[in-house]
Amino acid sequence: MVSADNASDQELVRRVQQGENEAFATLVHRHERSVYWMIHGILQNQADSEEILQETFLKALQHIREFRGESQFRTWLVQIAINEARMRRRKYRTSLHDSLDEERDPDSPFRPRELTDWRPNPEAAFAREELTALLHRATRSLPKNYREVFLLRDVQHLSNEEAASVLQISVPAVKTRVLRARLMMREFLAPHLKLRWRDRFLARVQRRGRST
Amino acid sequence: MITCEEVLREISNYLDEGLTSELRAQVQEHLRICRNCKVLVNTARKTLTLVADHFVMELPHGVSGRLIERLGIR
Repeated sequence: MVSADNASDQELVRRVQQGENEAFATLVHRHERSVYWMIHGILQNQADSEEILQETFLKALQHIREFRGESQFRTWLVQIAINEARMRRRKYRTSLHDSLDEERDPDSPFRPRELTDWRPNPEAAFAREELTALLHRATRSLPKNYREVFLLRDVQHLSNEEAASVLQISVPAVKTRVLRARLMMREFLAPHLKLRWRDRFLARVQRRGRST
Repeated sequence: MITCEEVLREISNYLDEGLTSELRAQVQEHLRICRNCKVLVNTARKTLTLVADHFVMELPHGVSGRLIERLGIR
């Protein structure tokens, strides 16, 4: 028998379905971080995110026999998490907040404004926590429809098709939103990561030097 | 030759390697001569790398233990 740590999600799910609850602990340890930070990306506070994380895994455990393996376990888990997080958000938000959060004109094309190149190695310029905090601020700046798609596609690494099925929207709608979300993320990060004036000047001098 | 507008529309699919080889070649040809679009594509790609590498961090203290406790599967 493969040890729990090396077993695939599918194998672990099968063991839990046969009544071996300890196998579920391995699934929890494997997925708790990414699920937590996805929920946090939607709800933006620790207390609610922790509660919804617990609700998500509790529901997954209660309903594990209904999981038929048509999707990956991770996708199924993310589906539960996003539904729970949305329910929690609805409970809190007034319609005023919701309307402010919606994209005003989703059909107009997004115009990137920041077109300066970035430093070659932004990781070196920030402490790890600073960089993570910056990325979280950037995600928070996205309207919620774009934020959800972005988290599913680029944090959870779901495919366009999986994200469409989780959000119950069409694949072209996922693609449209993910394009805009990525461009908005990039725009938010650019002022923090772009080359400073002095480096830009030096790069220009170097380019000129090469061309003569 | 495709326009900057068309490149902008396809950036996401380009980064996901979801373009036909013909369209992909057209985008690459455009990027070879258009500095703005090249910066746009490179920084968009970097955005995704940073998110993939740094968005998820450890859980706040105690969250994992309380989760296992709540599930009653320790």
